[in-house]
Amino acid sequence: MLAGKGFKQVFNVSGGIKAWKSKTAIGSQDLGMDLFNGKEAPLDILKTAYSLEQGLRDFYLTLEKTAGNQKVKDLFLKLSDIEVKHQRSIFTAYHRISGLEISQDEFESRVETSALEGGLTTREYLDLFKPDLDSEKQVISLAMSIEAQALDMYQRVSARIPNPESKAIVLKIADEEKAHLASLGKLMDSL
Amino acid sequence: MKWMQFLTPAKSLDYKETEAYIAEHPSDSVTLLDVRQPSEYQESHIPGAVLIPLPELTDRLGELDPEKPTLVY
Repeated sequence: MLAGKGFKQVFNVSGGIKAWKSKTAIGSQDLGMDLFNGKEAPLDILKTAYSLEQGLRDFYLTLEKTAGNQKVKDLFLKLSDIEVKHQRSIFTAYHRISGLEISQDEFESRVETSALEGGLTTREYLDLFKPDLDSEKQVISLAMSIEAQALDMYQRVSARIPNPESKAIVLKIADEEKAHLASLGKLMDSL
Repeated sequence: MKWMQFLTPAKSLDYKETEAYIAEHPSDSVTLLDVRQPSEYQESHIPGAVLIPLPELTDRLGELDPEKPTLVY
């Protein structure tokens, strides 16, 4: 149908979702949309993205305290460090675009953390995936599910943002989530 | 000309090819189109997929960019 309507390149994904073996996302098209109203300026987008990374970092650090296995504890610390790097990259963009002389700590104190990446809360993720917190593989699997959910949310958000600069920022973050998902996949394969 | 839409074959990509295609292209350069029903999408979908259920597709084609490669499932 699409090919006959002027679409230049159309591909059927053979086997559809049943054949898809990588992480999937869940929820309606509106999940997590309450975090973005679509009218945000670039700086607002960066603040929200920063707070989502912060939420995920806190989540990993909380789980690190409850994990009994040292390897899993180390893994949670590694995952939280990755979020710190994401936050640093978001802050750098904020600093560059705003031109404000502001420290990262000061910036951090201005953002509110209400949900994790992907728009679900800590409890919702744990209830949904019920990971064995003593298993490295299950912890990575949980992290991959969260990244898949985040990638999905940022791509849905990008479609609703008319401001080209804000849209470009969201798409850049989405691509970072995609790369993060791929690196977690490699980490999983190495175990 | 109207018959074109029924006759133009679309290439198929298997799971591995689809995954590689998505990984190799920036998020904004490809459309992943989910044409199933909303309840199926809600249960599980490929991250980044746009939902337009098949019965609505003809009326909502304007929401998609025909210049972008479109992967449909």
